[in-house]
Parts: sequence; structure tokens; C-alpha cells
Amino acid sequence: MAEPGAYARRSFVYRELAACGARFRGAGGAAVAVDFGDPEGERRSLARLGLCDLSPLPRIGFRGPAALDWLRAKRVRGLDRDNRADIQRSGALAVRLAPTEALVLGNPAGRGNLCDRLEAALDENPEPGCYKAMRRDGSFHFLLAGAHAADAMATLCGVDLRPLAFPAGSVAQTSVARISTIVIAVALGEVPAFHLLGDSASASYAWSVLVDAMTEFDGVPVGLDAVRHAIGANAGRSAG
Amino acid sequence: MKILHCPLNGPRNISEFVCGGEVVEMPEAGAATDGEWADYVFGHENARGAVREWWFHVPTAYWFIAERDTGTDEILRTYPASEVFGRRPP
Repeated sequence: MAEPGAYARRSFVYRELAACGARFRGAGGAAVAVDFGDPEGERRSLARLGLCDLSPLPRIGFRGPAALDWLRAKRVRGLDRDNRADIQRSGALAVRLAPTEALVLGNPAGRGNLCDRLEAALDENPEPGCYKAMRRDGSFHFLLAGAHAADAMATLCGVDLRPLAFPAGSVAQTSVARISTIVIAVALGEVPAFHLLGDSASASYAWSVLVDAMTEFDGVPVGLDAVRHAIGANAGRSAG
Repeated sequence: MKILHCPLNGPRNISEFVCGGEVVEMPEAGAATDGEWADYVFGHENARGAVREWWFHVPTAYWFIAERDTGTDEILRTYPASEVFGRRPP
């Protein structure tokens, strides 16, 4: 197991994770919390309610009047409607936030490297009207998953996030616990989940209120291995 | 809870929005007198009835226009600013 301080890139909440007993491993040059000492228990908890920190994983934003066309030219699928997320072949998620803004989240399972590929392509051949947004540095990224995820979110957010009103692929840019947050509904096979992204300066606060909101439903922090297991165990179905 | 319909994000709690004041035409900077410019910056019609206002959805940093009846506080219509102003000049 790795010491997060040994890595140049680590989560905004790595101290909170360590305080909960997180065990870290290096992945793509970053220290990632892979479990909290009970991998089997975390896999079971995830089906009910679990919170996973994905902040060290790749993600990137693109802004500007030409951003969407540039992404389509790079074979990014979807991007047809505002506030809509589309799964890519690699398992990455492309999210259209506005007519001039999109967000790409890497596959938590670690397959593919769409974010790095897109960033390198734009660096190599800059496109007028298309600019990078460094989401990996500017935004925290958590995954709240489980059958009670919508129940826990209902205590923090005014938007109806229940599966019938907010199915997988839906996106809400709204206020969660009074901080501006992007909420993206996905499905890890049978397990509903929300990607949550907000200002990295609020990461510690957001983590603490989400952990607090989960206690009512017996939710616990889980490591990346539990999420990867859920995705892997459900591969071939609608893994998000 | 008062709901405002954001053209980009749909119906949301009014607490997610900030009012940016009346929509007024900006005088031509080079030709306006000091008085006209001061009136543009500081003056408000504060009319009773249907007015056009700038509103801002904070989580998305998105500005749009709302038509609101200041007498009844009823939101009559919301739409993107591009409907009025078109594209930004190059």
C-alpha cells in the first residue's frame, strides 16, 4: 500500500480518507483510496449506499463555441442535449453541460484513456474556440452509489433525483448542501449512482456532509476497488 | 418554495438564482454624455408591471432574461439572452 504524500497528485480529501482508515495505491501517478480495510464488506455496502472518492482519476472539461464540434470530430458520442451524459465505448462519460461546454469523466474501472487523449490532441493542434477546463484540479469528484443514493441526496438537494424522475444519463447542475454541484446519474449495472462534481475548495466540506447524510441509511465510505468490482461484475450490462 | 424556470436547467428553487437588475440598452460608450452613462450605470426605472430583468443561475454561471410582473411577482417568461442580443461581436 502507498503513502499519499509520496505522490504529486492526491485527492483533495486524502486526509479525511486516511482518518477513516483508507488504504492507498498508486494509479496513473496518483494516490487512490482502494479500500478501507474491508473490501468484501465495502462491496456489499455499495449496493445499499456507499461514497467513493474519484478525485484523483482523470477528467477534463472543454469550453468555447467550437468545443462540442471539436469533441464530435474526435469521435466523442452523444453531446446532443444540454444536461445529458453519454457513455463512450471506453466506459468514459461525456457530459454536455451547455451549448458551449462539455465534461469528460474517465472510466473509474481504469480502462481507456479518453481524457488524456483529448487533452493531448488539443495541446498538439489547438482549435480556435475550444479551450480546456482543468477539472481534475478545479473540481472534486465523488461517486455516491447504492439503492439509497437518491434518499441520501434528498436531504441535501432540492432536485428530484429519484430514478423515475432522474434516470441514468440525466444531469443536474444545482445546489447540493449549498454548494454548486454537477450531479450525473449513472447505473453500475443494477446499482444506481451519482457522480458529484463541485469546486475543489469545498471538497472537505462536501465529503463531510455526504458522509453525514449517509449515516441515516447506513452508508459508508468505500474504496475504488468496490466501484470497480460493481462495474466489472456488471460488465455487459449498462455499466456507467 | 418559489420556482424559477431556467432556460438551460429547467425549474429550480429560487435560492439558486440571483437577480441582475433591469435589462436596459447600453449607450454607445464614445458618444454618451456623463449623465447618460451615469443613468445607465446607476439609474433604475423601478416600474410597476411587466419588466425584463437579468437573472443568473449560480451553479452554472448562466445569465438569462426573465419577464416579471413587479406588481404580482409573477414570472411571465424566461429565455436565453441570445434571443435579444444575438451573437457577441467579434
